[in-house]
Amino acid sequence: MINVNNLNKSFNELHVLKNITETIEKGEKVVIVGPSGSGKSTFLRCLNLMERPTSGEIFVDGVDITRLPEKEVNLIRRRMGMVFQHFNLFPHLTIKKNITLAPVKLKLMTQEEADRVAEELLAKVGLSDKAEQYPNQLSGGQKQRIAIARSLAMNPEIMLFDEPTSALDPEMVGEVLNLMKELADDGMTMVVVTHEMGFAREVASRVMFMDEGMIVEQNTPAEFFANPRSPRLKEFLSKVL
Amino acid sequence: MDFIMQGFADFGEKFYDNFIKDARWQYLTDGLANTLIITFLSIIIGLILGFLIAIVRSTHDKTGKLGFLNVIAKLYLTVIRGTPVVVQLLIIYFVIFGSFDIDKLIVAVIAFGLNSAAYVAEIVRSGIMSIDNGQFEAGSSLGLGYIQTMIYIILPQALKNVLPALANEFIVLLKETSVSGYIAISDLTKGGDIIRSLTYEAFLPLIAVAVIYLVMVMFLSFLVTKLERRLAKNDKR
Repeated sequence: MINVNNLNKSFNELHVLKNITETIEKGEKVVIVGPSGSGKSTFLRCLNLMERPTSGEIFVDGVDITRLPEKEVNLIRRRMGMVFQHFNLFPHLTIKKNITLAPVKLKLMTQEEADRVAEELLAKVGLSDKAEQYPNQLSGGQKQRIAIARSLAMNPEIMLFDEPTSALDPEMVGEVLNLMKELADDGMTMVVVTHEMGFAREVASRVMFMDEGMIVEQNTPAEFFANPRSPRLKEFLSKVL
Repeated sequence: MDFIMQGFADFGEKFYDNFIKDARWQYLTDGLANTLIITFLSIIIGLILGFLIAIVRSTHDKTGKLGFLNVIAKLYLTVIRGTPVVVQLLIIYFVIFGSFDIDKLIVAVIAFGLNSAAYVAEIVRSGIMSIDNGQFEAGSSLGLGYIQTMIYIILPQALKNVLPALANEFIVLLKETSVSGYIAISDLTKGGDIIRSLTYEAFLPLIAVAVIYLVMVMFLSFLVTKLERRLAKNDKR
C-alpha cells in the first residue's frame, strides 16, 4: 500500500531521516519504537506529507505523492487518518461538530449523514453522552478517543498514530490503547509511533526500531523482544523493559 | 448668597449663549452624527481590508507563498503606521482627490478606513499566529485545504482571541476622527470649535465636546469589558 524509497529529511543542518526504504502492506500493524530524536515521528509525518521530504519518493498505491500538487495531496490525506500526541481537537466546536466538520465541508456527506456517522463513532469509542460538549470539558483520554473518532469519520484506509498516549495521565493510557486494539482487530492498516512496549508486543504485526534516522532492525514482536540482534536495540530494550 | 446666585445666573446666561441661542446645540448634534458616520463606515473598511492583509501576511509567514502581496502589505503597514493620520487625511484630500469634486465625508471615511485597516491587520495577524500549529495540522490531516482550514478552524478561534483588541482599536478610531476638521468636515470637535468662534467662549463648548467623547468611550469600554468577561466564561466551559 505504501512504498517508501530512499527517503531523506533534513531540518537545516540536522539530518533526521537517512535513506529510508520501506514497504507497508494493507492490513499491517506496524509499530515504530526508538529513542527520542530517532526520527520516528518525522518518518510517520512524512507518510501523509505533514513534513515534506527533502528527497526520496513515497508511493501510495503506486502514485508518488511527493510529486503531487497540493490539491491532490489533500485527496490522499483524506484516505489517511492521523492521530496526534496533543489531540488537536477543535476547541471552538462541539464534539459532534469536531467529527462532522471535515466530511461535511469536503462535501462527502450531508450534515444529517455525518451526524449519523458521528453518533455511530461516538458509540464505538464509548462517548455517546459527550456529543454536545466541548473538548475542554473532556479528560485527556476522552479527547484522544474523540480524535480517533474524528479521523475515522473520513473512512480512512490507513491510520497513523503519532505517540497517541504520550501526553496522557497514566490511568488514561489504557482506554486509548484498548480502542486502538479494537481498530486493529477490525483489520485497519495502522502505523503507530509509541513508547508502549506492551501494545507493540500484543498488537503489532511488525515492530520497527529506529535510531539516528535509520531503521536499525525490525521483526515480528515475539522475535523483536526475545531475540534483538543489534547492540543498539539490545541497549534500548534493556532500558525500556 | 448673592455671590452664588450671581454665579448661577452667569452660568445660565453662558449656557444659553453657547447652546440654546440660535439652536447652537445643533452644531454639536450634527457634528456628532458626522463623527459617528465616519467612524462606523471606516470600521467596516478597516475590517474588510485589515482581514485581507492579515490573511496575506500570515499565509506568507506560514507557507512562504504570496511573496509579492506580502511585500506590498508590509510596505502599506509601514507607511500607514509610520505617519500621522492627520497627514494621511490631508494627502488623500488635497493630493489624491485634489482635482475631484468628492464629498468630504467620503474622503474621511477612506482615509480613516485605510488607516484603521493597518492596525486591524496586525491585530488579526497576531490572532492567527497565536493559534497552535496543531490546529492547522489537524485540519490538513483530515484533507481540508489551506483556505478551508483557515475559514472553519483558524479564523473563528483567532477572531475570538482578538475581539477585545479589535474593539479597543475602534474606540481609538472614534477619537481619532476628531481631526476631520482639518479638511473642513463639521464633526463633533469642529462643531464645538464653531460655537467657540461664535461666542468667544472656550470653556463650555469644548468641555461639552470632551464630555460627549468621554461618555461614548466609557460606554464602549463598558461593552468591551462585558464582552471580555463573556469570552472568558466561554473558555471555562
